[in-house]
Amino acid sequence: MATFFGLWLSPSRARCFGAAGTFQARQLTSGGMAAEGPRAAGLSRWGWEVERRTSAPARLQTATVALDDPKLFDQPFAVWFGARSVAPLTASEMRGLDRFLRLGGMLLVDDSDPADGQFGRSVQRELQRVMPETHPVALDDDHVLYKSFYIVERPVGRVLGPSQIQAIVRGRFAQVLFLSHDLLGALATQKDGTARFDVEPGGARQREQAIRFAVNIAMYVLCLDYKDDQVHAPWLMRRRSRKSP
Amino acid sequence: MKTWLIELGEDLPAWAIALACVLFVVALGATMLQARRATRYRAWVILSGLAAYLLLTLAVLRPAMVRGRSVSVGAKVALLVDRSRRLDLPGGARTRAELAEQAVAELRRHYQGARISRVDFGAGAGESTTGGKNQSVPDAARLDLMTTLADLPSTLGERPNTIVVVSDGRWERPAAQGTDQDFELLEALRGSVLNTVSVGGEPIADATILSVHTSGTAVAHQPFSLRVEVGCLGGLRCDTMGIVARELRQGVAPAVLAHAEVRFADGPTAYADLEMTLERAGTRVVEIAIDTEKGDRILENNTRIVVFDVSRDRIRLLHVAGRPTYDVRELRRWLKNDASVDLVSFFILRTDADDTKTQNDAELALIPFPVDELFTEHLPSFDAIVIEDIDAKRYRLDAHLENIARYVEQGGGLLLVGGPSAFAGGAYAGTPLERVLPVHLVASGRPFDTVEFVPRVTDAGRGAALLEPLRRLVGDELPSMPGSNSFGPARPDAVVLWEHPDRRALPYRASGTPGPMPVLAVSEVRDGRVVVLGLDGTYRLVWSSLGSSTAGRAYGALWEGLLGWVMRDPRFESLRGELLGECISDRPTTLRWSLPAGASGNLKIQVSRLGDPKPVPRRIEVPVGKKSVLELSVGTLEPGGYSARAQIGTAPLSRLDFGCEKKGRAWADSRPDPARLRRLARINGGTAVGLESISKLPAAAATQVHVTRHVTSLLANWIWSLAAALALGAHWILRRLSGLS
Repeated sequence: MATFFGLWLSPSRARCFGAAGTFQARQLTSGGMAAEGPRAAGLSRWGWEVERRTSAPARLQTATVALDDPKLFDQPFAVWFGARSVAPLTASEMRGLDRFLRLGGMLLVDDSDPADGQFGRSVQRELQRVMPETHPVALDDDHVLYKSFYIVERPVGRVLGPSQIQAIVRGRFAQVLFLSHDLLGALATQKDGTARFDVEPGGARQREQAIRFAVNIAMYVLCLDYKDDQVHAPWLMRRRSRKSP
Repeated sequence: MKTWLIELGEDLPAWAIALACVLFVVALGATMLQARRATRYRAWVILSGLAAYLLLTLAVLRPAMVRGRSVSVGAKVALLVDRSRRLDLPGGARTRAELAEQAVAELRRHYQGARISRVDFGAGAGESTTGGKNQSVPDAARLDLMTTLADLPSTLGERPNTIVVVSDGRWERPAAQGTDQDFELLEALRGSVLNTVSVGGEPIADATILSVHTSGTAVAHQPFSLRVEVGCLGGLRCDTMGIVARELRQGVAPAVLAHAEVRFADGPTAYADLEMTLERAGTRVVEIAIDTEKGDRILENNTRIVVFDVSRDRIRLLHVAGRPTYDVRELRRWLKNDASVDLVSFFILRTDADDTKTQNDAELALIPFPVDELFTEHLPSFDAIVIEDIDAKRYRLDAHLENIARYVEQGGGLLLVGGPSAFAGGAYAGTPLERVLPVHLVASGRPFDTVEFVPRVTDAGRGAALLEPLRRLVGDELPSMPGSNSFGPARPDAVVLWEHPDRRALPYRASGTPGPMPVLAVSEVRDGRVVVLGLDGTYRLVWSSLGSSTAGRAYGALWEGLLGWVMRDPRFESLRGELLGECISDRPTTLRWSLPAGASGNLKIQVSRLGDPKPVPRRIEVPVGKKSVLELSVGTLEPGGYSARAQIGTAPLSRLDFGCEKKGRAWADSRPDPARLRRLARINGGTAVGLESISKLPAAAATQVHVTRHVTSLLANWIWSLAAALALGAHWILRRLSGLS
């Protein structure tokens, strides 16, 4: 943890002016629900991992923003997570979510209880009300999310979950990602810095894969489809072939 | 000269006269037939009938004597004299123009007594390649003999008896390969004789660029072929000839685009195909030149200036960023949503200090930053580059800053976006790149400040066309920015569009009391343009309450203006200029500028020669008044490419590039064409002669003109009537005596 804060305060690591333009995973709330405690720590850990593993500056403070809060439009990224079904959105929440997405914002929907799946389904239902013309689709295995920083094989969180990501794709970009992997559960830490939740089926490698996937999501938020640029293609092909047995 | 004649029935129509004559003949014939039945006085009956009907007819026609006086006037002779610039070519010891004047003098002597009118044609005829898209050459400026001939009756007020064309025969219409019909005089001139006098002299030894086949348009980065016809004329011997195409750029030596060697295997002319690529969009001036051959007597046509309007198929843009942030994200998102942008991005995603927790790089999707390759080999292929918050020293960009500066000077567009590692914070101060920036960088002191502020729009910013789309959306309101880079004062030729409301520019040498610190500044550097944005928060034009209130469109409006201006998109020019007519080096050149609505102050124009590393600009400044269009003479210019930069008030500069030629296409083909003169004369029934045989031209017949006319009746009308009545009576008596009824 000392490293954690040392990094944050280090003057040698230039950030943005005032850190305003840096990556921050904000928790999205709706229906006046209080921010969830244990997994919210995963948001901070996410920023820390991005900060120490990549050149991208990130904010470690957790932030919560409601769908009908004008502050939602201050940044282009938010994480909507939970385990229970969300209440139907109010008109102002629907307007807020619609405007956020129309501005080009990106939303990660992380189901904390994928076995039950109530949260994920309810959010999909609400998004369908906001964007009736769009439907989630499974992202291809070669989607840029799997190579935006690390080369990862599949989405991983606290649970192994499905091997594909469902997403709402508008224009060139995946704007809403639906995870049934409890990603924040894998990232969440306790005060002493140890993991808050065990991963299933288990192992340090799974947690590391979850962190890498989280870093990839952050880089996708910041760089979009940068790694799909043609200039990267020959390098990535070589890397993939080297990794394959 | 006096004349007289008898006229019949002066006041009668022709048909009445004819009818009277017919009746006379019929009556006489009938009388002769009847006289055969007469028993006596047959001859007297016929004679009396003849007399009676004759007097009756004369009583109707009433003959009168017309006496007049006429004068003989000289024939109308029109001398059509070629006055094109081509006549300045030598036609032996003297120029063709001098030979033409001699011909005119001799023709005046030859047609002594004739009424001679001189009509010059072809003045101003010639060139159409040097003005680019902005130049319109009216048809009248072409050397068009047939149009001049068609206008001749109205020009002279009468149809001439004789037309004499004095020329070297190399006009544009009728063309040498035209049909006989193309050479025929129009109906209004039928009956006129057309003669020709050749004043071309002998062919001259001349190596020349006969023609450059181009539409005047090209697509940036796309290779194209320019077909050039060269000639080795007048007996000059050329086995091979070198030809080169050079782009004339502002403030730097010309850049060779292509060269070729042509072989003269099948006669005095040959073609060369020059494969070339113009990398920069906009108006580009290209000089085509051939090697000087020994014995070449006309050097002026060894060089041609061609102006290309270079468009973009797609905009090729390089975006380099030192770290991924929301500012980088928004710019990439905006650029990627534009299908016309071919975006090449390089973002630094990992630094040496980062701990990726990997065993080897194969687990990472990262590639080395190809800084050397990008900023040497590929740099010229980009229309513009955006360098955003990247440390020049750490990422070895510093070794290429001279290259980037040269890229700008040669026409590239550069946008530098702020951040902690930009400008002085990224070791750019004191580097070669600084010479092309619109602001001074100061290495000492804080390189940036993280105090939130709202940029203040300057007067220049309010008048700048490049910020107009943004202004339409948000007016002068801007979102708060999370910090700013530290700058010294703006350079004198830079334009500051936004400034810091609180910070002063850092002291720079002896620049006096520093004013407000520039935040957004632009400048034109030789052929290129630079935008400096000393902040990293333009993403707030999307991600803020102001941004969301415009649905994020303000972001696109700002960047469209910045990128468009840097790449010379005409939409973002404050002024629009065009060349009026053509630019010929010995004549005054006029430029027309369209001014924005409400423009005031002075219009400052600076005309510099392209391809000259140290040009001495010609400066003109005039008050705008209330005009919306200004036409300004910039005087006579030497042959070459020119760039006129105009500025009104404090708005960013607008630019017009154009070419100026010595004689232009008029001198391209120096060969006289006496065969065409002969053909013109032959088809129109005339005679073709040379200067030495003008005396052999047929004389022009004089025209008779009546000046007085007196009409006197031979007898009074009553006498004709009485005589006719008496003769009819006598005839009747004789008929009765002869036994006729």
